[in-house]
Amino acid sequence: MASRVAAKQTGGVFRMMQKWYYERAAFNQIGLLRDDTLRETEDVKEAVKRLPEDVYNARAFRIKRALDLDMKKQVLPKEQWTKFEEDIRYLQPYLDEVWREKKEKEEWDSRY
Amino acid sequence: MSGPLRKHHPLLKVVNHSVIDLPVPSNISVMWNFGSLLGLCLVSQILTGLFLAMHYTADVNLAFSSVAHICRDVNYGWLLRNLHANGASFMFICLYMHIGRGLYYGSYFYVETWNIGVMLLVLTMATAFLGYVLPWGQMSFWGATVITNLFSAIPYFGPDLVQWLWGGFSVDNATLTRFFAFHFFLPFMIAGLSVVHLLFLHQTGANNPTGLAGDVDKVPFHAYFSYKDVVGFVVLLAGLVFIALFSPNLLTDPENYIPANPLVTPVHIQPEWYFLFAYAILRSIPNKLGGVVALAMSIVVLFFMPFVHSSRQTSHNFRPLAQVLFWLMVVNVLLLTWLGGQPVEYPYIFLGQAASVIYFVNILLFIPIVGYVENKLLFS
Repeated sequence: MASRVAAKQTGGVFRMMQKWYYERAAFNQIGLLRDDTLRETEDVKEAVKRLPEDVYNARAFRIKRALDLDMKKQVLPKEQWTKFEEDIRYLQPYLDEVWREKKEKEEWDSRY
Repeated sequence: MSGPLRKHHPLLKVVNHSVIDLPVPSNISVMWNFGSLLGLCLVSQILTGLFLAMHYTADVNLAFSSVAHICRDVNYGWLLRNLHANGASFMFICLYMHIGRGLYYGSYFYVETWNIGVMLLVLTMATAFLGYVLPWGQMSFWGATVITNLFSAIPYFGPDLVQWLWGGFSVDNATLTRFFAFHFFLPFMIAGLSVVHLLFLHQTGANNPTGLAGDVDKVPFHAYFSYKDVVGFVVLLAGLVFIALFSPNLLTDPENYIPANPLVTPVHIQPEWYFLFAYAILRSIPNKLGGVVALAMSIVVLFFMPFVHSSRQTSHNFRPLAQVLFWLMVVNVLLLTWLGGQPVEYPYIFLGQAASVIYFVNILLFIPIVGYVENKLLFS
């Protein structure tokens, strides 16, 4: 019971730190989501290739808008900044899929 | 063949793909000007150096007075000398800004371009060191003596290596003549390696301040960044000419206006400002070989940058914790620069050692840790 309360409090503190860090990172001010800022490693590139067309187009639009805002040294109006709670990890399921396949391939290659 | 000649002519299309129709991210900032500014500095140094070389004599009995002859008798020789000496300082200002840009925005992930860039840094440092010896002033001679003697710390063949480098048993005429030869030759190696540096850069395309893939929003290099680079050229040349005309000795050591005397050691031997941070790191280790290794590692550590970067984001733009660490590193290097010019006594000895430790710990330990923490905060 006590450990569950402590875990909840710790989780609460960590979430507060995440929210603070999200606001300080400020990529939401130029209309980006967390997964937009991932460095394009081979895994990320493969996951992006697997995105549905509408999700891919939305990502491309957000990145283009962000580059344009950065060029002008501007940010979006405050009402358009993505909130921490609304930020979705749209790329994560595809990344998980790529990592799973990679791991399976490595196991297969090591065995045969 | 239809279309403009610049796209089809075998020579013109190389120029076209490099500086006209080259796709470039639209949002690259003024920090992206320093690459072209380095090219301008190199051209300036080669031209002024070529004309200086027409009147300079690389002989221990004549070198110092040949420089005085250039400044007093050669038409505009004083201007050539001032531009060349101060041009070296401006080249290092541009170099450090260019490297700082690379460190902040994660440009080192273009590994081939980055590695060649570090080699270019080493070559430029070598060229500057060799060039500073040529006037054969007190600081030229004693700086050459201190730095070449460092190689004797290499186990087994160190002392023989140093005498081979000197061409004798001390820094003397044989050393001066070969230093002149290498100082003349190395800039052409730098120019060639710069072309390879650009070749690799153009394979990947330029980075941009956000660190995001810039493919969705690119503009042609001409006219946006060709003209922006020209503005940068005007600013740099104005600064260089201002310093060369109004305060040519601002960055020099007055000791170098005394002809070299192997029998008189200057009280404070120190290199030019752009080497002071490395000099501080060298002097912070009481052991000779240890100091040499630390000196070498202070530059070689740049090769490790792609491997110590643990964050899932490329640029420091969206990484507030890493930004604090970056500016701490900048302040630390400025502190090392100041300490390199101070005498070896309390409290500068301890401060130099602390700053040297912070320099390496920052890069090898704090950067990976902060990246890991940021990943946890943002992507867990």
